[in-house]
Amino acid sequence: MKKQNPLTPKLITVVCFLLFALYGTAQQTSKLTDPEVASAAVTANQIDIEFAAIAFQHSQNKEVLNFAKTMSNDHKAVIAQAVALVTKLKVTPKTNYLTQSLLADAEKTKKRLQSNKGEAFDKAYIDNEVAYHKAVIAAVETVLIPQTANSELKTLLQNVVPALKAHLAHAEMVQKMIHK
Amino acid sequence: MKALNKTGKLLIPVLCMGIFMLLQSGCKSPSERMEEPHKGKLFVVEITQMRFSPAEIAVSKGDKIQFINHDMVAHDITEEATKAWSSSPLQPDQAWTLEVTESANYYCSIHPVMKGKITVQP
Repeated sequence: MKKQNPLTPKLITVVCFLLFALYGTAQQTSKLTDPEVASAAVTANQIDIEFAAIAFQHSQNKEVLNFAKTMSNDHKAVIAQAVALVTKLKVTPKTNYLTQSLLADAEKTKKRLQSNKGEAFDKAYIDNEVAYHKAVIAAVETVLIPQTANSELKTLLQNVVPALKAHLAHAEMVQKMIHK
Repeated sequence: MKALNKTGKLLIPVLCMGIFMLLQSGCKSPSERMEEPHKGKLFVVEITQMRFSPAEIAVSKGDKIQFINHDMVAHDITEEATKAWSSSPLQPDQAWTLEVTESANYYCSIHPVMKGKITVQP
């Protein structure tokens, strides 16, 4: 009989909670303004850079470290583009319910990740990356893009989606390797 | 008079050949003339929306492929089986040119889900 990973039920709960919290919160309240969309987009990218920073400290797995390096570099590149655009448009990102929800969930996730070591950390990190990218893709496609008024900001968000999907596929690839 | 006619008969084909050669070189643009030492054709693969486009390309040995990164993140182009060749990371709007010597599967080592294929035609 195959031994069940003790982390699995816990992770499933966390993943479901994350998906529900991010997607549900994003849909439940009023329409976002462009400064609020910009704030949520930058925050979502910044959170994944912070998850990667924890991976650099806690992991020794080559695949996990390569993935974390890509997340850190790519999300920094997206933030740079977003900052350049909002500067050009003279838009000041404004904190809102979605930003706050993202930050609150991220704090819980960071504490959970930091409590793991070795293989347990690698699994927890990559499982979270799969769940986080699924949730962010859903939020960008169904909330942020439809609610964005400015066409340049909308185009930027649309251009980010393929990168998020490639990140998700990459995370799932690493997840298969380390769950063997 | 007879001597002049003989010289004239010899000069006519030589002059015609010279004019023909001048006209031929004059018809080529400066860029075409500069490219003459490279006999292969130049193909372009664009990197956009996290994909190589076209993802599969058929070329002849000695042709060149220019990869242009139109994405907002860095990519590279790496031979997949043995990593026989690789570009350095291409930042947005940077390009890299490969001279093709053999068929190869390649990928982006930064985003391993991005893949492409080069087929060398006989």
